[in-house]
Amino acid sequence: MTDVITICGSLRKGSFNRIVMNVLPGLAPEGMQIKEAPPISEFPLYNADIQNSTGFPASVHALVDAIRAADGVIFNTPEYNFGIPAPLKNALDWVSRVPNQPFVGKPIAIQSASPGPLGGARVQYDLRRAMVFLDALTLNKPEIFIGNCAQRIDEKTGKITDEQTIGFIKQQLAAFAKFIASYGGKR
Amino acid sequence: MSDNQLNVIVICGSLRKASYNAALARTLPALAPPGMAVKAAPGWDKMAVYNHDLHADGKFPAEVTAWGDAIHSADGVIIVSPEYNWSIPGGLKNAIDWVSRFKEVPFKEKPVALQSCAGGALGGSRMQYHLRQSLTAIDALIFGKPEIFVSFSAKKFDEKTLELTDQPTVDIVKQQLASFEKFIRRMNGRK
Repeated sequence: MTDVITICGSLRKGSFNRIVMNVLPGLAPEGMQIKEAPPISEFPLYNADIQNSTGFPASVHALVDAIRAADGVIFNTPEYNFGIPAPLKNALDWVSRVPNQPFVGKPIAIQSASPGPLGGARVQYDLRRAMVFLDALTLNKPEIFIGNCAQRIDEKTGKITDEQTIGFIKQQLAAFAKFIASYGGKR
Repeated sequence: MSDNQLNVIVICGSLRKASYNAALARTLPALAPPGMAVKAAPGWDKMAVYNHDLHADGKFPAEVTAWGDAIHSADGVIIVSPEYNWSIPGGLKNAIDWVSRFKEVPFKEKPVALQSCAGGALGGSRMQYHLRQSLTAIDALIFGKPEIFVSFSAKKFDEKTLELTDQPTVDIVKQQLASFEKFIRRMNGRK
């Protein structure tokens, strides 16, 4: 079984990106199990003094351990001010400080939904760049940009209503499974 | 030369004779680890400016095919390029645009590492991040770290011979090549 964890860049309960994330387990190809990663909402704002006095917070360890144990990681994230949402960047900044970096060589995939027409394209290229520093293996294609998401996702039922979007996501998950099988492997 | 020595080609993004990037590209064979042979890729300087009409019959110009074939048969590719107007030099982008039209895009799942020299402090980093984006579109396996940004390049090369004289730069380039060999072997081994 290929174990994949998801990290949502939005902390908002009704987040469109969270809805997409919650739908993923049902769209995964056979042999892939998708579960939500431990929460990033409890991480303090990064400060090296915390790390140097009381050590890494338990919540950071929990996420790091989950990344290590996973075969792949999927980010479901909105775009804030053309960039990575601060809660997600803060989590990555914490993770980047632990010894034996958990993202090194780790297959990752990115999905974003936004009410605008670009579907979060700019956050994805920002996130790809940060993942270069973390030395992850980022899936190239297909890319998932869910533009005009309010018309494609039903906030009340928590479902994706647009069949084409569901089709694209399935394609990406299948490509991600292949990518993990080809280039992944826990080290 | 062992049987499993990797065949890596280097593409330079500048045509200028006294280019620092070309000088760096020429240095790579000597800095490569024993498991990797580095050779210059065929030139892209004779390629026409891309126009779909030129291959509407399904046939690509010979210089484009030669470049694509070399990439296709290499175990890995290193691109050493300057930054023009904060981005990829037009000539290099032209070559990439040409081979991106092949039925089997030669960069697909090909390990690619990047290096750049620039006269300024940023060492061509803006070009590298644009290039990463284009390489994502053509589905290359882009090497992560260490990154090679040779800043203030006029101070790192001999003025007359264009030999790379800066020892820290030599060291980091060697490190990248050694890591790139591991990256290629890891990627290939799992295919």
